[in-house]
Amino acid sequence: MRLFHVAGEGWEALWANKLRTCFMMAGTLVGIAALTVIMTIGKGTERQVMRRVENFGPRAMMLVAGGGRATGPPDAQITTLTLADMEAIREQIPGLEIVTPQAWATRAQLTRGSAQTRATLWGVEPEWHAAWDWYVADGEGITDEDVATMARVCVIGSSVKRELFGDEDPIGERLYVNKVSLTVTGVLEPRGSAGTGGGDFDNRILLPITTAMRRVLNVDHIGAVRMITTDARRMPEQAEAITGLMRRRHGIRPPAEDDFRINSPLAVAEVVRGTSRTLSILLMVLAALSLFVGGVVLMNILLISVAERTPEIGLRRALGAKRGDIFTQFLTESLSVTFLGMVLGSGLGAGVALAIRQLTSLPVILSWEPFAVGIAFALLVGLFFGVQPARRAARLHPVEALR
Amino acid sequence: MIELEGIEKTYTRGEVVTRVLQGLSFEVEAGEYVAIMGASGTGKSTLMNILGCLDKPTAGHYRLDGTDMVQLEDEALSELRNHKIGFVFQQFHLLQRTTARKNVLLPLIYAEDYPENAEEMAEAALEMVGLHDRIDYRPNQLSGGQQQRVAIARALITNPAVLLADEPTGNLDRRSGAEVMAIFQQLHADGRTVILVTHDLELAEHAERVIVLEDGQIAEDRPVAKPRDAEHELATLTSVQEVDE
Repeated sequence: MRLFHVAGEGWEALWANKLRTCFMMAGTLVGIAALTVIMTIGKGTERQVMRRVENFGPRAMMLVAGGGRATGPPDAQITTLTLADMEAIREQIPGLEIVTPQAWATRAQLTRGSAQTRATLWGVEPEWHAAWDWYVADGEGITDEDVATMARVCVIGSSVKRELFGDEDPIGERLYVNKVSLTVTGVLEPRGSAGTGGGDFDNRILLPITTAMRRVLNVDHIGAVRMITTDARRMPEQAEAITGLMRRRHGIRPPAEDDFRINSPLAVAEVVRGTSRTLSILLMVLAALSLFVGGVVLMNILLISVAERTPEIGLRRALGAKRGDIFTQFLTESLSVTFLGMVLGSGLGAGVALAIRQLTSLPVILSWEPFAVGIAFALLVGLFFGVQPARRAARLHPVEALR
Repeated sequence: MIELEGIEKTYTRGEVVTRVLQGLSFEVEAGEYVAIMGASGTGKSTLMNILGCLDKPTAGHYRLDGTDMVQLEDEALSELRNHKIGFVFQQFHLLQRTTARKNVLLPLIYAEDYPENAEEMAEAALEMVGLHDRIDYRPNQLSGGQQQRVAIARALITNPAVLLADEPTGNLDRRSGAEVMAIFQQLHADGRTVILVTHDLELAEHAERVIVLEDGQIAEDRPVAKPRDAEHELATLTSVQEVDE
């Protein structure tokens, strides 16, 4: 009760000097707002990382033609990755549950009667389904027999089905790819648009790899090798072994650049995190600076206030206020200001975060965590910068103060 | 009620030692109205600070209502001031940004227990000093005399053992001063112990006993044969004013 009354004296001072209170609060407000934005973006990014990794496959690696970039589709110009490379990995790299090749063409032209569309074309083996944990919703997937006989069949993604067949049942129907006629044997489960490249995952067509390479694309190289490891912890070591093997087979000696790259969940995560990192670092600097500068301003205003209100402090002491009461009163001012700054700053931060979500592609997720961290930081700033003025006020001798 | 015994106060600045109070001893009985008089530099303020438990003597004993304050720590001194002493200052020392009511309530905030009927107590105290119609005014809406009366109400709210007034009329015109003095006399008549610190003999003679300080020692301690009557002065002042008008 007494504490409440003494704290009330601090609140009255804040209420009576609103402009001063605003100045005391500004730094905390901006700092906590920045902190809130950082955390909402951070949380959004991590959620996206998890989703992308989940999509990529937590135990998956991709050997992809073309060096340089960290993710994205194979480089169509690079023709050095072959089925023989894939066989070599199968034979020489231990601990891989699945090793399966993928031939590739971007924006392949698909026609059915007057309807046409463009989709990513993949030539695959039956293991592709297991390697991507991605099966048909309708009909059959690619089979060993299809591959062995270079069968003129295909499995289509749900977007392709929608474009070419609408509501019709596509199974058993025909479509043309580069003037090659194929029979649709299956439709893939829809996966949405959460690919590593961000494109529509369902806008694709699968062919037996032999059909794709010989009949449609007429190539000897493949775009990628998809691998599933038996143990995710062995991935870095396996990736290194594959890199060594490929360099040997392709005659590459560092510092010459690799003509391939190996994607793993780690690399995927890195790419996603990279997009928001710069902004996060900038905001981090802003938050740290605001909280520190704001704290110093807060402390100085309080010190001035202690000096100005010395007679008042003397009077309170004369009327029976203990040192602790004076200390509490001034610390209450400091803590209340930072707390208020935190509340307003969290609101501002949430607003900015929502605006960022509307205006940019950055992932943003609002949650309670920034609020909790905000409270902690605000109270820390209030304590750290409020103790000194409060102590100075409490140490004033009543006789000196009253003079 | 108040016992001072060999009170000394010495200030040391570098090598200069100033003996402001040089062994004061006197007693004040409960219900007495005493004026402590002296020119500036006689140790009057220092004595006032000690009597108010704002400062401790260098040597000697000061028992207030049975408690020797010399033994007490800072915290206990705060409690003692809160319980036993009502201060009235020359500069009023009111909180400017808040109402008369809240100013009067201030000492209760620092009391052990905040009384449930604090609001009524504040109103009663303000009524006692004739400000029942100014309860929610701020100091800057009140005259000097009214402000000092708020301060007196504030001093009374904890029902202190002694009322300690330091030049209470120093910043007031004659009429307001007389009003304040009339209140003190009324409080004395009601049985309260009042100590008035002043340099003004005329003011001091409103009390029934005058202690004169000179060079940190008691030069004189005498009863006032016929104390001045503030009520009467007030009446005179009013009639003179009426004639002037």
